[in-house]
Amino acid sequence: MARVVIDQQLCKGCQLCAVVCPPGVLAFSLKLNSAGYHPAVLADDGRCTSCTACALVCPDVAITVYRPEAGAR
Amino acid sequence: MMTPALMKGNEAIAESALRAGVRAYFGYPITPQSELPEYMARRLPEHGGVFLQAESEVAAINMVFGAAGAGVRALISTSGPGFSLMQEGLSYLVGSEVPCVVVDMMRGGPGLGNVAPAQGDYFQATKSAGHGDGRLLVLAPASVQEACDLTLLAFDLADRYRNPVAILGDGLLGQMMEQVVLPDPVTSLRDVTWATTGAGDGPARVITSINLEPEALEAHNRHLQEKYRRAQQEVRWESYRVDDAGVVVVAYGIAARIARTAVDRARARGIDAGLLRPVTLFPFPSRAVAEAAGRARAVLVAELSAGQMVEDVRLAVEGRAPVRFYGRCGGVVFTPPELLEQIERVAAEARSS
Repeated sequence: MARVVIDQQLCKGCQLCAVVCPPGVLAFSLKLNSAGYHPAVLADDGRCTSCTACALVCPDVAITVYRPEAGAR
Repeated sequence: MMTPALMKGNEAIAESALRAGVRAYFGYPITPQSELPEYMARRLPEHGGVFLQAESEVAAINMVFGAAGAGVRALISTSGPGFSLMQEGLSYLVGSEVPCVVVDMMRGGPGLGNVAPAQGDYFQATKSAGHGDGRLLVLAPASVQEACDLTLLAFDLADRYRNPVAILGDGLLGQMMEQVVLPDPVTSLRDVTWATTGAGDGPARVITSINLEPEALEAHNRHLQEKYRRAQQEVRWESYRVDDAGVVVVAYGIAARIARTAVDRARARGIDAGLLRPVTLFPFPSRAVAEAAGRARAVLVAELSAGQMVEDVRLAVEGRAPVRFYGRCGGVVFTPPELLEQIERVAAEARSS
């Protein structure tokens, strides 16, 4: 299973990651971070394909995507 | 060729200010501009400058008053609620003719509001520097590069007119990352012969805004107003497809970026739209707006507010063409399709009348 780590303090909730996510598995937290933004969260990790589109588009480099090792599925 | 950097608007202003020779920063954190003091906290000490997080915006603006009065280039930054708190201090700076640069990255209001982008501080920035008859010179960047460039200009204008200069941005401009070519560090010397750096054998230098004699204070006011009349020569704007435009959109800052896309889309649909973007909000490019309106069938003002700059546009247009308004507020940002619809509406209305 893929793992997406989003730095909740660095995220400014610009929503670009959600726009580019092919399976549409990113959502926005109901909680505010310390700057007052609703940061992105992975809502459905089962459908994440670890394509890294979110990490590539993030202007603040707030997203890290971990892929399962080949053959580990 | 300078290597471009990728920076947030807040960081670009901070770095540009450092290169302009800022040696004192005072402020109090507030989203969406906190990256600016964070940058200054890291970098200003490296340049031998003073960074101080004050206990409030009221304290911070008065610290700026002190540092700037001693002839140091001083910067302060905030968002709407903090800008309100600074109004008293700004009035003192204006009255005492002390230069500084104040950055307001506007957010949704009124009150505590939210941290999303808005343009609701236009009145507060352009109409009066706190109480009394003073004004701020106000610059409104629409890109990270322009935010960087106008920061240099702001410090020069502040010195030239010995008056606080405001950079009026918004949460979007402060937070978005764009390519920016940073300026070379400024090496020219400033004239601070008025500052309290020691008078030597000359007359005592006094920085104050109190003047208990009405006639003398009136004379001082006339001097300030003469200064603002002189500052009219600093007026700046950008015209985009305006020369043959039947529908002139007037927008500033980030709203103008969105309006520019909408204007292109309108042109693609055969509507003769154009965009006039004020870069200085005070002085306001009244003549440019009037001339564009004189050639147009209608004017559309688009703001992220309930309608503030539209009043200056109406004063400039003086009935030459109907002036319509479209705005979103509270932190909601209009989209290009949304503005395109408004341009089509105004164009249709102008055709049928």
